[in-house]
Amino acid sequence: MIIIGEKINGTIPSVSKAIETRDEAFIKNLAVTQAEAGATFIDVCASTDVSIELEIMKWLIDLVQEVTDTPIAIDSPDIRICVKSMEYCKKPGLINSVSMEGDKIDVVFPAIADTKWECAALLCDDTGIPRDGEKRLKVFADIMERAKTFNIEPSCLHIDPLVEMLCTSEGGINTILEVIREIKRQYPAIHVTGGASNISFNLPVRKFVNQAFLVLAMGAGMDSAIINPLHKHMMGLIYATEALKGEDECCMDFIGGYRKGLYGKVQFGD
Amino acid sequence: MASIDEVKINVEKGKPKWVPDLVQKALDEGNKAGDILDVMVAGMGVVGERFSSGQIFVPEMLMAAKAMAKGVEVLKPHMADHASASLGICVIGTVKGDLHDIGKNLVAMMVESAGFTMVDLGVDVPVEKFIEAIKNNKDVKLVACSGLLTTTKPMMKNTVNTLKTSGLSGFKILVGGAPVTQEFADEIGADAYAEDAGSAAIKAKELVMAI
Repeated sequence: MIIIGEKINGTIPSVSKAIETRDEAFIKNLAVTQAEAGATFIDVCASTDVSIELEIMKWLIDLVQEVTDTPIAIDSPDIRICVKSMEYCKKPGLINSVSMEGDKIDVVFPAIADTKWECAALLCDDTGIPRDGEKRLKVFADIMERAKTFNIEPSCLHIDPLVEMLCTSEGGINTILEVIREIKRQYPAIHVTGGASNISFNLPVRKFVNQAFLVLAMGAGMDSAIINPLHKHMMGLIYATEALKGEDECCMDFIGGYRKGLYGKVQFGD
Repeated sequence: MASIDEVKINVEKGKPKWVPDLVQKALDEGNKAGDILDVMVAGMGVVGERFSSGQIFVPEMLMAAKAMAKGVEVLKPHMADHASASLGICVIGTVKGDLHDIGKNLVAMMVESAGFTMVDLGVDVPVEKFIEAIKNNKDVKLVACSGLLTTTKPMMKNTVNTLKTSGLSGFKILVGGAPVTQEFADEIGADAYAEDAGSAAIKAKELVMAI
């Protein structure tokens, strides 16, 4: 499972404050703890005023790279900020994210073509988030056509099918699961990603919904997620689910995660 | 660190991907194949002890055995006298009436890793089949009988009795399985009892050394 650690995000009040006060230690700590907890990428989202966003991105990326080798996921709604931030990264990371909206893909795909950079792509376009699965798959086909044009390997793409909140959805997440399965059927090497927390919006005890969602989505083929890797229970479920899917020879990764303490304090044999 | 030491560590850690290259490196550095085999056996000894004391899980033991098997593949062409390096043949099986094989397989794996050549008769093995295997294989030093069911304890007793009174000799009998205890092993006249796969390997060696 590819874990995109979500904690360095200016929309989170404590991070926003750390950015305002230029609290380097706070940011570095978020980077180190997420890397140690098993993050594959450290997401970096400034979420500041546009006039200083690029400057803040550089500041954040520099701090993260001071304390860990874990690659960066550059996260900005302004795709040009993403592309400009690429040069601050010591090694290829992930662009978060493009979609069929506007010229996003035309800006990013040429920039990552023939590199090891990866890219998240949301299944929405200028008309918004399509209601049904069929239309999302149409957007997916459009994205893949563009990928082909720019020679972007499917294995470099993380497709986000855009999970909507459960409380207002009809038929649960069945549509999303079908979309995930179809995407993986067409391109086995492609990654399917998503956040695991939007789903539970406006419901009580959200963690149960989030975790059940993640397990079901992984069952359908999701193999990348934007989550908090410090959430030990969730990490345990992810490793257990991979083992159950037969993707973990002899459960060695699951046991390894336990030995590294990724699931928190548990007794041997629990 | 010398490659031969790394071989041992990576067998203990269960790294089948790394062990073959390390074995090759150890050979290139001038170590004798027999010495490399010895460190792998010693590594498996450590693994068996860790398993017996509850420090590691079954898959970790499996991966260690896999790592060793991969290493042995590299060694084989360099071991002209491989047969003589063996501690002898161990015939193993789950006794008649019992179809459980997970524990038996773990024991077979660990005993093999300790240096035995295994003849695995599978599950639901009648005593005649044990006898036939002892007759058909030269150098059988050990017969290991497994059983998980309380209902097959009488069959284990019968098997041990029959083997002991068969007139065949030169081998010891090791028994084990969930319902088996040291007392039961003594009562039915087995030479030794092993509580788990790790201790089975240790017991197997001790028994054969004493022959």
